[in-house]
Amino acid sequence: MTREETLERIRDLQARVQELRQASDNPAIERTMQLLDLYCHMARWELGDVQAMIPEAEAR
Amino acid sequence: MKLYKPEVEAQRFWNPYTQTMARADLDRLHLRKLQTVIAYAYARSPMYRKLLERHKVRPEQIRTMDDFVKRLPFIDKKEVLDAQAVSPPFGEALAVSEEFFHQRFATSGSTGAPLHIPLTYHSAELWGESWVYVYWAAGLRARHSFYFPFNWGIFAAFWSAYMGVRRLGATVVSGGGLDSKARLRQIEQYRPDVMLATPTYALYLGETARGIGMDLAKTSISHVIVAGEPGGSIPATRQAIEDLWGAKCYELYGIAELGPTNPGCPLQGGVHLCEDWYHALVVDESGNTVPYGEVGEHIVTSYIQDGQPLIKYRTHDLVRWTDRPCGCGTTWLYYPGGVLGRTDHMIIVKGVNVYPSAVEAMLHRVTGLSEHYELHVGRDAANDFVTVKAEARPELDERRYGELRRDAEAVFKSAIGVSIGVEVQKPGSLPRYELKAKRFFDHRPAAHRWQLGGRTGA
Repeated sequence: MTREETLERIRDLQARVQELRQASDNPAIERTMQLLDLYCHMARWELGDVQAMIPEAEAR
Repeated sequence: MKLYKPEVEAQRFWNPYTQTMARADLDRLHLRKLQTVIAYAYARSPMYRKLLERHKVRPEQIRTMDDFVKRLPFIDKKEVLDAQAVSPPFGEALAVSEEFFHQRFATSGSTGAPLHIPLTYHSAELWGESWVYVYWAAGLRARHSFYFPFNWGIFAAFWSAYMGVRRLGATVVSGGGLDSKARLRQIEQYRPDVMLATPTYALYLGETARGIGMDLAKTSISHVIVAGEPGGSIPATRQAIEDLWGAKCYELYGIAELGPTNPGCPLQGGVHLCEDWYHALVVDESGNTVPYGEVGEHIVTSYIQDGQPLIKYRTHDLVRWTDRPCGCGTTWLYYPGGVLGRTDHMIIVKGVNVYPSAVEAMLHRVTGLSEHYELHVGRDAANDFVTVKAEARPELDERRYGELRRDAEAVFKSAIGVSIGVEVQKPGSLPRYELKAKRFFDHRPAAHRWQLGGRTGA
């Protein structure tokens, strides 16, 4: 898989994780989605797709 | 079944995308990351907003790497301490609310007030990741187990290495709360593959092992990874550790308030800058960037410290940097020899720069001297002068100490070109340390130590 294809999938995954984080009223699920969001963010930086510094704080 | 797919596990680099990226592309990527971290710090950290306003620069004015180098001020530990003192413990240095803290550390404060270090979960993950580059390059994978002869206190020390083992997916074996003998027994019992320690403690465990009749070279340890002080990139020290443990020795250079900035090269001659998560400059005493190949003060920007951003932070470490390939295959900047000394430990004897790491390397060339030493620096009317206090090896007869002193002084004179006095000490007479050893004793007036001028933030 190319870098661009990998990034496209990560961005899509991150958007869906963020939606679920917002929609859920279950603390365990919200925290797990926060962490998934963070790992998507890390993966994007690792591939040079530089966005925000810290997603869990900047999303608020 | 394995944690990583076989074709992934066979990869030479942890992140091949950036670790083999061309220099020009890496520098373009750095600029984007720097712009992001500067905007973030300006928006969220009162300390940075005030610093940039004092220097009449706004984040959007940093359009090129030249802007970054020339317009942005350095920042030093004292300014961070001052910002923290406004409202302790973190004060105006903080960029996020404490709700986002994952862990907090502090420096010992041995030279003043302790510096507080907040870590978000994001920072902790990336501190860990910064270790994985050296683990992976050394051939360590999820199947390996890592032994930590370390008391898990408030000092950052090997906490980040532990975070790295978690990130890699390997096994942690904790030697916390035990004395050295109990740790050695634990190594025999649990048979870990990797031991992490300061070079001093890795060698000290050898003395303990001898005392209980244990041969460390016959243990399960195949890799020793050292950090916390120079040694892993000093050939003689590294060789002493490898001989003692019958293992390969690698290094990681880090700074408590920044994290693990420089994973060791797998070829063992130095360290690389972890360019995924850090940017660095190397500057002279005027604050000007020195060319590749030259020695200067290491100035680091972290992309990790989102709790307490640090941009163009003065480390006071002396390094030689180069963009020349070291041979391991990465394009990341290389620092042969690792950390050469501290700027405040810079010694100039009759016009010759003498680095403490060079003195340590020379000591190992003298048969009969042990690895335990202290370096005392004084000043007469015109020059720095250096005296090395070094312990003799236990097997050496005390009547031969005079001869040993003359041998050591001759080695220094021929290798460095200046006279360095040597005092041979009895075995066990110098203090032992579990973390960083205190080896440098500076008796010079402050005016004769390294002073960085130019664009400081003060």
